[in-house]
Amino acid sequence: MRLEVGSFPVRSIAFGDATRWAGGHLTVDRAAALAEIRRDPRIVSADLQIAAPGDSVRIWPVRDVIEPRVKVEGAGQCYPGICGRDIATVGQGRTHRLSGMGVVEVSSVNWHDSGGDFVETYLDMSGPFAQMYPYHRLQLLCLVVEPDPALSDESRNDAVHKAALAVSDHAARATSALHPPEREVFELTACDPSLPRVVYIWGVHSPQAMSGSLTAFCTATYGLTQLTPPWILHPNEIIDGALAGPYRTAFAMSWTVVNNPLFLDLYRRHGRDWNFLGVILLRTEWTTQHEKQMIANQTAKTARMLGAQGAVVTWDAGGNEFIEVVRTIQAAERLGIKTVFLTSEDDATDGAPTMLEPLPEADAIVSTSFFKNVTLQVANPSAVERVIGLGRKAVLRGSTIGLHAGADGTLPTAGPLPPPWRYDDHYGFGTLSCIE
Amino acid sequence: MISAIYSFAMTTGANRVVRGARIEHVCGDPGLGPEKDYAYGMRIVKKALEAVTVPVTGPTLFDPHEDAASPEEAGRAS
Repeated sequence: MRLEVGSFPVRSIAFGDATRWAGGHLTVDRAAALAEIRRDPRIVSADLQIAAPGDSVRIWPVRDVIEPRVKVEGAGQCYPGICGRDIATVGQGRTHRLSGMGVVEVSSVNWHDSGGDFVETYLDMSGPFAQMYPYHRLQLLCLVVEPDPALSDESRNDAVHKAALAVSDHAARATSALHPPEREVFELTACDPSLPRVVYIWGVHSPQAMSGSLTAFCTATYGLTQLTPPWILHPNEIIDGALAGPYRTAFAMSWTVVNNPLFLDLYRRHGRDWNFLGVILLRTEWTTQHEKQMIANQTAKTARMLGAQGAVVTWDAGGNEFIEVVRTIQAAERLGIKTVFLTSEDDATDGAPTMLEPLPEADAIVSTSFFKNVTLQVANPSAVERVIGLGRKAVLRGSTIGLHAGADGTLPTAGPLPPPWRYDDHYGFGTLSCIE
Repeated sequence: MISAIYSFAMTTGANRVVRGARIEHVCGDPGLGPEKDYAYGMRIVKKALEAVTVPVTGPTLFDPHEDAASPEEAGRAS
């Protein structure tokens, strides 16, 4: 499976009379892009705005950031399966991407109301808070979109994400007929058999148990988010967006999944430093001890059957999902597979361990620091000149579990604002680590 | 502590841990229907009450499913 990726760097965005890319500048025909979105009768309002690095801008509420990618040769569609898109297996041919930019999905649509799982992420484009996230370096095309409030949770989630993908497609299509200034070929070529065989075990949250949703939100595999046995994905499928979707944390949105630096480094060093076997996708938030242990056993078994000698393990969640992740590590180690675990840490209140279930087999851990902004003592981001999205934000000051616990008020979005409760750098974008 | 993920409860230092049903419904199972759900919930709660009368020296698991009323209920426990 061979995939060529052509990158078109975006260094500025402006609105104009036709959508086109030239010399690092993206012009967007705002009316044409919005007309595509408004064809969906579920959409009540939609607007596009631009944010650039260094701007005194705050974007709220942020459900997803998407890197525009389009398939120009080969089967399928980038970001397949989600919101009814083509489910052809991706990963072959040629894909074009607009690098250095993101389409931001800005909407008041909450994930679901049944379990109080609230959208809480906001992004700044300047200041110390902005610099904690990779997005402040990007040119952002923000879609502020609202669906018919009478629709179900499921339908509203689907409508606004479909709209954001339509903007992403609209922008990426501008490159279809162009010659990419940067090219990179991705292929799992045959390599020296003496190189160590390594698999990436990638844990992703499922919203199924808490919301009943099988498709509407959270990082999806070809559109599915349900609790499933482990999937084996070719790394090219990841690059084509087979794993993507809006998400609860800033570090596991569509943009960060396709640009995961750990994943890309594993792939780019294939054939030189190791033999990269591919990705085992471990869906998390099983809800009994029995299920958690079973999925851990089966994931480790799958890695063993692929011939893995080593595994790198990440996850994108918190709380009880740690159990199936750490027990996957334990099960893999017991099968002779050496593991390295990249994770954030919980706070160590009253001397509790910073990891819920410390197991002796998980003895090679890379920390990306604490997962809560409260524990990190992140100062309230200061006032900004411009807000993209909603003018007010619900807050729960000093919260260690976010808006799950309710709110103690609302504040003007433009003013100084408590940071979202979670930081949680899942894939090592940042430079924070643990204090020894 | 009644917990569906009992290993976690024991790791975090709860002295008496009672095995619950699922994270979504720790003290019962609506899938069993109202009567069996109630009986199952009572079994878990009674086990918890029993547990507080037993001296322990460290984290100890109490399993209400060991004396399940029916194979169906025992099956739900897993």
